[in-house]
Amino acid sequence: MKNRTLSALLLIVAAPLTLFSSCKKDSDSPDTTGTGSVNFTVQNVVPAANIVGVQPPQPLVLNSSVAVTPTGETFTVKTFEYYLSNIKFTKSDGTTYDAPDTYFLVDQATAKSLSFTVPNVPSGDYTGVSFIVGVDAQKTGLTDPITFTGKFDALNPAYNMYWTWNSGHIFMKMEGTLTSTNPTKPLTCHIGGYTGATNAIVTAAPSFGNSKLAVRANKAPTIALQANVVKLFDGPNPVTLSNFTGAHMPGTQSVQIAQNYGAGMFTVKEINAN
Amino acid sequence: MAASTPKTWVRQPLGWLLLATLVAVGSAAVAHWRQPMAAAMLLAPPANFPAVVYEVAKNQPNEATFELGRMLFYDPRLSSDGRVSCGNCHQQARAFTDGQALAVGVAGRRSPRNSPTLQNLAWHRSFMADGGVRGLELQALAPLTSAQEMNTPLVDALAKLNTDPEYRRRFAAIYGPGQIDMAQFLKALAQFTSALTSTNSRYDKYVRHEPGGALTAAERRGQALFQAKCSGCHATDLFTDESFRNNGLNTSFPLDSGRAHITLAPTDAGRFRVPSLRNVARTAPYMHDGRFQTLPAVLAHYAHGVRPSRTLDPLLRPPGGQLGIALTEIQQQELLAFLATLTDVELLTNPRFAPPVAQARN
Repeated sequence: MKNRTLSALLLIVAAPLTLFSSCKKDSDSPDTTGTGSVNFTVQNVVPAANIVGVQPPQPLVLNSSVAVTPTGETFTVKTFEYYLSNIKFTKSDGTTYDAPDTYFLVDQATAKSLSFTVPNVPSGDYTGVSFIVGVDAQKTGLTDPITFTGKFDALNPAYNMYWTWNSGHIFMKMEGTLTSTNPTKPLTCHIGGYTGATNAIVTAAPSFGNSKLAVRANKAPTIALQANVVKLFDGPNPVTLSNFTGAHMPGTQSVQIAQNYGAGMFTVKEINAN
Repeated sequence: MAASTPKTWVRQPLGWLLLATLVAVGSAAVAHWRQPMAAAMLLAPPANFPAVVYEVAKNQPNEATFELGRMLFYDPRLSSDGRVSCGNCHQQARAFTDGQALAVGVAGRRSPRNSPTLQNLAWHRSFMADGGVRGLELQALAPLTSAQEMNTPLVDALAKLNTDPEYRRRFAAIYGPGQIDMAQFLKALAQFTSALTSTNSRYDKYVRHEPGGALTAAERRGQALFQAKCSGCHATDLFTDESFRNNGLNTSFPLDSGRAHITLAPTDAGRFRVPSLRNVARTAPYMHDGRFQTLPAVLAHYAHGVRPSRTLDPLLRPPGGQLGIALTEIQQQELLAFLATLTDVELLTNPRFAPPVAQARN
């Protein structure tokens, strides 16, 4: 409500300026000088229980929401954390902008981690975004982790997204309880791994649909992402949770789950122009 | 060289004047000036050593940080039950091992592996018996956070340090005011652990033609045998080539697959880091699982106990012969005599590496 009032005010103030500037410019070619920033919001969700495909997904509430897999298995979530990094924006002509040093740790238990900003994106109309769900090998595989301070603070091993016995980041962490078995049992996914058979680095490129991301100097559009926790176990490598013994380390299990969340966990819910 | 220069300064009035100036400039400058002996060792290794791997320049050695690292190393408050410090499993008189087959952590919990020695760590390319840890600073995180060892998440360890006035004062004197952070904590620890060098055994003095470097005839025969039969793995005067090898302890490795635990490669099953043999006479029991109580038992294993498996090291499969290393009883005695010359009393008794006095009283 407040935002709307503010927007209206801005419109009144900005409208004459826009009119003025449009005198000098062809309205078909947007102002592509300078840079703007792009905000991201992330909403972690579970599919609406038992009415799959009919109702929109529901916000994930830790220790409460019941997540239902396509085969009807259910689980609750205690911890849901993951890295989004190496954010890349694509224009319709295929050219890309790789935002440097973008490493964000999303933690469902920490509200402020559910939104973040990528600054200094060149102005222009973008038609797509991609990001690594996890961390690249270059950064955590070759860089000395004690340098993970300042703008790389998200990578600090103190956040507990790090294997101390097998140096490297945990890309994705989901801990919860499988509730469709009797008795219930703990459900643990700690996903990571950099090279060869353990390479769990996946890139997600959720579609904008017909929307465009218009980046302009002094504007901050927002990409609203949704992340469906059930997609850990659903995708190219469906997982039957009653037989699942957990993923605790780099390995085949990690790679298969990473392929799942890379393929379908993230969707763009909407793009807000400003 | 870096260590001898300051010592001559101290004896000169001008040196004291300079020191006073440095004190006025700030404690960090003084810290640089007072580089400990061991730091000089890393900057200019002995003639029979290769260059160090650890980037000493990024963690400039100085006395204050070394002493802080020493305090951290021997501080049991960093464990979840307040009873286990790094020094529990890494005791100086045992070349920083603990005499146990398997390491003992908080609440008497047993690690799955034997405590390794801490010596010449600045020459390591990787750490742990399986090579899973990539750097010296990072290494401290493994025992700190392991549930079987000190069982303390890094964030909890930093919180403990940040609520302790003495630590706050000492960290601030080195790194400036503000919260004690991960990098400061791990760098300080690394200044202590990297200083644990073993370079002055009788063997070292022998090969460098220094006083006190005489070997007996039996020891020299042992040395020749060692060169012929052992140095394929225990290479260079570090006495390890830092590779991972299967030395025939088992025919399969269901409980601890060693290097394969990290790489997942079946060809790495049963491969473990080749340990240095420096101070080996003081580090019993032996092997990653502490299965051999004595050095004669280790040699007996190589002579006639090696078990076959797909990943058994080629050096333990001589063509057409019995598995292992052909060693007569007399040869084993001579090898034992040689291995004893690798004991470095300086590492084992240097008071600078012992628990700080205040903590030793606890």
